Amino acid sequence: MMSTTLRATAPPRPAGAAQNGGRRGPRRSPSSHIRMTGWLFVAPAAVYVGVFHLFPVLYGLVLSFTDYSPISRAAPDFLGLDNYAVIFADPEFLNALRVTGTYVLMVLPPLVIGGLLLAILINRPFFGVGFVRAALYIPYIISLTAVSLIWLWMYSQSGFFNQFLDAFGLPEQRWLLESTTALPAAAAMRIWTALGSNMVLLLAGLQSVPKELYEAAHMDGAGRWGQFLHVTLPGIRPVLTFVVAMDIIWIAQGFAEVFVLTRGGPLGSTTTVNYLIWTEAFQYNQMGSASAMAFVLFACIMVFALITVRSMSGRNSR
Amino acid sequence: MTTVAMKKTGSIKRSRTIGRSGLSVALVAACVLMLIPFMWMVSIAFTPPEQAFGEVGLIPSDPTLENFSTALHDANLLTALRNSAIVAVIVVALNCVLAILAGYAFAMLPFRGSGAVFWALVATTAVPSSVTIIPQFLMTRAIPLAGGNDILGNGGSGLLDTIAGLALPHLVSAMNIFLARQYFQSASVEMAEAARIDGAGEWRIFSRIYLPLAKPLVAVVGIFAFTAVWDDFLWPLVITTSRESQTVQLALASFRSDGIVQYGPLMAGAVLVSLPVIAIFLMYQRGFISGLTEGSVKG
Amino acid sequence: MDVLRSRRFRTAAAGLSLTALALTGCSGSQGGESDALTVWFPGTNPAEVELMTDTIVPAFEEKTGVPVEVTYLDYADLSTKLNAAFAAGNAPDIFGHGPAAVSDFVINERIEPLDDYVAAMPESDQQDLADAFTGGQVDGSQYLIPLSIQSAVLAYDRSDLREAGLDDELDVGSWEELLEVADRLTVRDGDRVDRAGLLLPSASPGNQQTFLTLLASAGGQLISDDGQRSAFNTPEGLAALEYFVDTYQGDSAVGNNLGAQWTDSPATQQPLLLDQAAMAIMPTFRVSSLLDADPEFEVAVAPPLPLGDSEEGRYLGGAGPGLMISADARDKDLAWDFIEYLLTPEISSQYVEGIGAIPARKSAVDTPYVADDPLMSDYVSLIPDYVPNPSVPGWIVARDSMAAILEQALNAQLTPQEALDQMQVEVDDALAQARG
Repeated sequence: MMSTTLRATAPPRPAGAAQNGGRRGPRRSPSSHIRMTGWLFVAPAAVYVGVFHLFPVLYGLVLSFTDYSPISRAAPDFLGLDNYAVIFADPEFLNALRVTGTYVLMVLPPLVIGGLLLAILINRPFFGVGFVRAALYIPYIISLTAVSLIWLWMYSQSGFFNQFLDAFGLPEQRWLLESTTALPAAAAMRIWTALGSNMVLLLAGLQSVPKELYEAAHMDGAGRWGQFLHVTLPGIRPVLTFVVAMDIIWIAQGFAEVFVLTRGGPLGSTTTVNYLIWTEAFQYNQMGSASAMAFVLFACIMVFALITVRSMSGRNSR
Repeated sequence: MTTVAMKKTGSIKRSRTIGRSGLSVALVAACVLMLIPFMWMVSIAFTPPEQAFGEVGLIPSDPTLENFSTALHDANLLTALRNSAIVAVIVVALNCVLAILAGYAFAMLPFRGSGAVFWALVATTAVPSSVTIIPQFLMTRAIPLAGGNDILGNGGSGLLDTIAGLALPHLVSAMNIFLARQYFQSASVEMAEAARIDGAGEWRIFSRIYLPLAKPLVAVVGIFAFTAVWDDFLWPLVITTSRESQTVQLALASFRSDGIVQYGPLMAGAVLVSLPVIAIFLMYQRGFISGLTEGSVKG
Repeated sequence: MDVLRSRRFRTAAAGLSLTALALTGCSGSQGGESDALTVWFPGTNPAEVELMTDTIVPAFEEKTGVPVEVTYLDYADLSTKLNAAFAAGNAPDIFGHGPAAVSDFVINERIEPLDDYVAAMPESDQQDLADAFTGGQVDGSQYLIPLSIQSAVLAYDRSDLREAGLDDELDVGSWEELLEVADRLTVRDGDRVDRAGLLLPSASPGNQQTFLTLLASAGGQLISDDGQRSAFNTPEGLAALEYFVDTYQGDSAVGNNLGAQWTDSPATQQPLLLDQAAMAIMPTFRVSSLLDADPEFEVAVAPPLPLGDSEEGRYLGGAGPGLMISADARDKDLAWDFIEYLLTPEISSQYVEGIGAIPARKSAVDTPYVADDPLMSDYVSLIPDYVPNPSVPGWIVARDSMAAILEQALNAQLTPQEALDQMQVEVDDALAQARG
């Protein structure tokens, strides 16, 4: 019964078949065995993540109720919800929430759609496909320090983009210097960086769709678009869900591109929440209020991630 | 009927060929666009340092290798590459084993509370590292019986400034667990059920049936784990103190000092540092079956 | 590929990794408290690193028999690392930073006052280093030992002056007169300025530094003498800010590229070289770097100019980054020995030459590094006219607030007076909060 994919291609078992094949003998409760093994398989990873990632998160949550400053010798004072009250009344923080939300909306659709398109394009065997995939993946792996300097130059007054516009007789743009174009410019760099990773993930997803389903659809008369809608999309649904959720989580924490390209400017139009958090934590030494900001962001992220997974998972999820 | 059918085949064939070459053009265009910044990086890497960004075109007028030698020598790049490579091997191996195992279990072996545990793990990825880095630093320093610490983790420096310490936050990534779960969610349970009836243990079911079919998943997890280690800057910055322990991003950062950036050596170093990742990617991406067994997917 | 999938390989890999983890962990660096002197040096420049590794550290280790462990960091990254170290209680014996951060360390009792050590230095050395040392003092006490002097000066392109029919040696008596020259040097295309006659840094935090330069040139000051509140919301402050805004707004604007962070651009992309500006205020090392990119470029430095009724002009300048001794250092005398070694004339001059900074020692004016370089000689001769940013607790927060408001003023979203009023509130707030 070796199939070439994980997907169901064999007909489902007839209803009413006995669970253990009609065999008698010592009763083994399949579900409790499964449960124990499940727990066992999960344990090493879960213990590690719990200790080294979950515990620091909880630690950070506790700190958000204090005025902890690492540079101070004094023990932190308990402030209750003061940090949260202060940040919600701070127009800079509210602006950062808005900027972050806008940023996610700018980056997410092109990133997912673009990643899917590229994945489809490279999901064929042709000579040199490995190099093409590598070429498309390179932006993701090159050092951000180095490549962001290139992008800084590309956006500068006499940089690549303005030279390009100039060649067509179009006026120069103050890409990173105008509050209307700065965030889209940062978004463009982020999309460019992350397309490769989305592409690779969706490629893995595409690969898990058995070709038999495509053949069956073709025989039913479905054209390319029909196959895409009825075979590809449902087939990659779990991985696509992951991609969207992961992208929301990562993009909402956008910091590096802002730090290098605009330092939060111009006029606060690119100050994301994570940029504020970093400034608050490491420039102003206020870890308590930085933590509070982080957990507000966390709450927003988790809400959207959960909504995404719930709505995209559909009936097939376990 | 036959004439119509033949006509149809003819036009399908033609549109397929046009479609295919159109897609190839699109692909080439995409590659070029994606690579433009990289091409500029390479260009600057070969340009004399004082002339960085001064060139009009991509080909430097006065190409030189001095940036590469500067990068290798001044930035301690070979040591950094070695360190990053060791950390990467550890992290890739552990992720490919433990993250995939856990993801499989979340998808195929549900237990009471597995949903809550799963989401608790994933939730850790939604908290910015600025907040978690100090607790993680404190914990790394207090690892019992390491770096001169006693059983309670006092007295020494724990795993600070060590390879193990560098690997510590990356051993298993919750994102990879999430990915693995999603990947296995579309797997059919029939094979497992049949195998269970035949008396196979869960480990056999996993390693003999499902894992071999999840080659693309392993490839992706491996690539992502490697990239996470390679691109990490903040954690190595915080826990290393000696030049011997530096990793690649830290080594590259040494070209940025007091607002002065040495563009030539930086770009040369960045190019050198990206080569191993490209190599790893090329190797692992063969796990993406290039359609040889699957045949050509239309389009 | 299949072998990578096989279970045996995976188990072996996992086992090996865990063993490696354990082994490398145990064979880690220092076991327990070592008696090495730990130094976190602000700067990763290869010249600095080489000087430390090849000359300073070996000499010091030989003289004292104590091993020295140096970590090199760009001082932008220092804060992050220091915070983690403070939290864990393992700060280094000596660490570096810029003058702006010193007061925050002082108020949190993280660094040691160095007055006694400085007083024990030979009188001649104290005099020689006096210019640099003032920038490292907080409330009159020496905490930071600066290793160089840094400043931003007005540089101009001689050929642009000649082209406009002017003498190529700028000769004006005030900022106002300079503006007239700038107007003649400005090349306009409609209402766009193609070449700025006068380019003043407008991006954060450069805009705050520009404001200070103009304010001080007008005879004003940023902070009250007791360091507790702002002192710039005065006629001098208004004159300074109006001048600043006028270079960018209005029909006779002489500046361009508003908001751009060009001071950090590579030499080949500097506005002066690209002919996007004729005169600009730039850090001194940037001015010198123009000649590296284009040895034929004719750049000169203007003397500081007064603004309004003031008699003397000023430039932003003062102590550069330096070293401090941790309050928790085990052997502070030893730490001081190390710092003092860095201050010796030979080492000090090698250091500043390596990074292209202005020497900390007055006596360096006779060294070839200064004497043979007209630009460096200019920078050194201007030292008496440099005025630094304040060094008070909460300054970093105050500075960032000022920069944000200045940005709005430069974009004509606030009038200069409104901006001054808002900055006053924010700065007073930040300083008060930091004092607790």
